[in-house]
Amino acid sequence: MNQPDLIAQLQQGDEQAFTKLVEEWQDMVYNTALGIVQNEEDADDITQEVFIQVYQSISSFKGISKFSTWLYRITVSKALDHEKKKKRKKRFGFVQSLFNNQDEEILLPAVFDHPGVELEKKEKARELFNVLKNIPDKQRIAFTLHKLEGKSHQEVAEIMNTTLFAVESLISRAKANLKKELIKYYGTLKDTI
Amino acid sequence: MSNIENINKLAEEALSSVDSIKRATAKPFLLTRIHARMNKETVSLWEKAGWYISRPVVAFAGLCLILLINAAVIVSKNSSTQTTNVEQTTQASSDEFSYTVATIYDVYNNQP
Repeated sequence: MNQPDLIAQLQQGDEQAFTKLVEEWQDMVYNTALGIVQNEEDADDITQEVFIQVYQSISSFKGISKFSTWLYRITVSKALDHEKKKKRKKRFGFVQSLFNNQDEEILLPAVFDHPGVELEKKEKARELFNVLKNIPDKQRIAFTLHKLEGKSHQEVAEIMNTTLFAVESLISRAKANLKKELIKYYGTLKDTI
Repeated sequence: MSNIENINKLAEEALSSVDSIKRATAKPFLLTRIHARMNKETVSLWEKAGWYISRPVVAFAGLCLILLINAAVIVSKNSSTQTTNVEQTTQASSDEFSYTVATIYDVYNNQP
């Protein structure tokens, strides 16, 4: 079954079409979400949310953009929303801890290992993902889509609904900022050794 | 190799560590979990309403509204109490000094 037929069937509420859609796109949605939120449980949650939204709003898909572009947009927006919610919860938890006398467990920032990274590069990738959180959202999204999902600059531009020139600039600034952050990180590491 | 060059090299290595990255695969039984979640979400509309009300902006606006209503009630109560006080004082002084003109009926029919 080709993609337009699958979408047409899905718009008619066909359960089997939905099953096929999930099977076909689940890894792409999960990998994108994982690159943004850097947590496997959260990425799994987001993947579920994305497919539920697709099921509920497939009637609004008019086919102006590619289906994959539409799916990427939903995923990115859900992942960013999830991050915002998590940050809000963290802030609320911090305020609560100020008024709480009980000694509570101190949560250290989680270390993220992407399962797709080669074994010998795991440590370096961990450091990269750690500083990836420090760069602006747009740069991070462009970098993630390009590097982790292997999307071309043109495809990233379509997903982010911007121009090719803007994406090239975003990716170049992302790399520069990441390098700056990494140098800062390795610099402090040298000082402590 | 100098320290700066070494740090630069480490940064470059970290940047290129994701060059040949493979796509992560979703956890098994995703479809089952999606269906379970869809069924759960249809039931929990009240939870959504609760979540909306508990949002800081909404909660703060609600609190401000309650305080405003309280203030309005207190202000309106105070003004009506003042009017009652004036009326009571007038009544009391008229009773005290018998402002009302006594009629012949009152003089001859004094109650004990």
